[in-house]
Amino acid sequence: MSDRVLDLERKANWLRNEVLEMTVAAGAGHIAPSFSCAEILVAIHYGGVLRLDPENPKWEERDRFILSKGQSAVALYAILADLGFFPVEELLTFTQKGSRLGGHTEDTIPGVEAFTGSLGHGLPIAAGLALGARLREKRFLTVALLGDGECHEGSIWEAAMFAGQHRLNNLLAIVDRNGQSATDFTGDYLTLEPMEDKWRAFGWEVRTVDGHSFPELIEAMKDVHDPSYEKPLCIVADTIKGKGVSFMEREPIWHYRIPVDEELDIARRELKWEKK
Amino acid sequence: MGKKVKKQKSDEATKRWVSGMRDAFSEALYEIICEDERVILITSDTGAVCHDLIKANFPGRYINVGIAEQNMVGVAAGLAMTGYIVYIYAIVPFVTMRCYEQIRVDLCCMGHLPVTAVGVGAGFDYNTLGPTHHGTEDLSLMRTLPGMTVLSPSDSVMAAAFARISYELPGPKYIRLDRTGLPLIYDKDEADFSAGLTHLREGKDVCIVATGRMVKRALSVAEELAGKSVSVSVVDLYRLKPLNRELLLEILGKSARIATIEEHFITGGIGSLVAELMAENCVYLPLKRFGIPDDFCREYGPRDYLHSLYKLDLQSVARAVSDWVKG
Repeated sequence: MSDRVLDLERKANWLRNEVLEMTVAAGAGHIAPSFSCAEILVAIHYGGVLRLDPENPKWEERDRFILSKGQSAVALYAILADLGFFPVEELLTFTQKGSRLGGHTEDTIPGVEAFTGSLGHGLPIAAGLALGARLREKRFLTVALLGDGECHEGSIWEAAMFAGQHRLNNLLAIVDRNGQSATDFTGDYLTLEPMEDKWRAFGWEVRTVDGHSFPELIEAMKDVHDPSYEKPLCIVADTIKGKGVSFMEREPIWHYRIPVDEELDIARRELKWEKK
Repeated sequence: MGKKVKKQKSDEATKRWVSGMRDAFSEALYEIICEDERVILITSDTGAVCHDLIKANFPGRYINVGIAEQNMVGVAAGLAMTGYIVYIYAIVPFVTMRCYEQIRVDLCCMGHLPVTAVGVGAGFDYNTLGPTHHGTEDLSLMRTLPGMTVLSPSDSVMAAAFARISYELPGPKYIRLDRTGLPLIYDKDEADFSAGLTHLREGKDVCIVATGRMVKRALSVAEELAGKSVSVSVVDLYRLKPLNRELLLEILGKSARIATIEEHFITGGIGSLVAELMAENCVYLPLKRFGIPDDFCREYGPRDYLHSLYKLDLQSVARAVSDWVKG
């Protein structure tokens, strides 16, 4: 395994630990939805996908990242602080009285582009950004990270159709395909299959990857800045909700639970937590 | 971006602008689009005079997103985030209620984006199309959103002015338009709509606060009752939010009674707005609210006929006000 992949894996493990400690300190936050997309978030922020400047968060040429599944705000905040968008010390104020870091992403936080948390909003905004970039002849890339259950929202497919129609090849949607929503498994009550065929039918190029594999994620995104295709790109990333802590994996109850007592000990042990 | 281009005003459309609020607004918007290349119009498959002109002269700055209003708002927000000044346009219920939560989050939570929602079809404007197309809750819904500017023009001069005013104002705006023509209330060259309301007529017995098409009705009521020794004051409340509370309170205090009239549900509309203002400011005057009661209108026919069903026609309002004053 290359050093680069090992570094990214270390970063993903750091992120899971950070999310766990932030949510435990707060007694609030979405752990399992954040663990599900940990590798995706690390890959785009540290794997050479997004071009950002923490010193200049509103840099006009920056790539735009929209966390459409805004419930993973805790993970994005940890990354933004780590990248230097705001002080790392602020992370432990997450959802506390007086903090600006809440349970869903707000656009006033340095590094955050859009106010999300209500599902189905991020892709339409991302489509508008991508169209605006094209009209203004800007070369930035817009990336939206969607949840699996979020794809039940009709507005996702309105935007998918729009992006396909306008051939927004500067738009990348990544679906965190963990097969779950807040309370259940999507395939058991409202199936999204065939997911890839849906996106293709709406005019997108589709790539399916193991969403916890850095080699696969990086390979799938290697040409996003200079696409040879003429369509928007959707990466369906197969993931496991709660990935990294055995008792949280694929257990719906952990969508919005915080571990206590022995649970916390086990989670920390499995994530190889080292007290600072 | 921001570069001025040569005006390409349409003479043909200019002739029509005095006839209807929609045409007056869209003609004025077209002028702005000619002047500023940052301005872009999005519709969800709803037509207006200027749309073909924009399509022909400024490709890329007219976007029909299809009948998909939720996406329309998100795309508008995204375009505004890249520096565009965006107008979204559809029939009232669809540009307000169908995508209400998108307006709430994408436009109002992110309160700095210059996006104007334009609703055509105030009240019973779409008189033959039934309650799905009636605009009867929009003012209530939009005025409850933090940061939203809510504009309800009463004639075509004002509708045209609101195109310019909305272009210059930051943040989210909502403009409620009538399709059809009305006799003008304002002089195009002298009108100033910065106050948020106009005290059109003084009167001591009752002050009628009206909005939109009902301003003309209130003026007619005042005219009618002047001959019957009832003195009626008329206020055109064209900007519901931000409300010019001080000026409205000052005017309300000059009459013995207060009435409101609107082509909108009484609940949440200007009747509610005035009641709230009076209650909060200890204005203990009798209040009568004319508007659409808590009911969907399932009748069809001329708009005046629909007004008469809810006693919003001239004679019904005049009689009710006269009986009230004469006790």
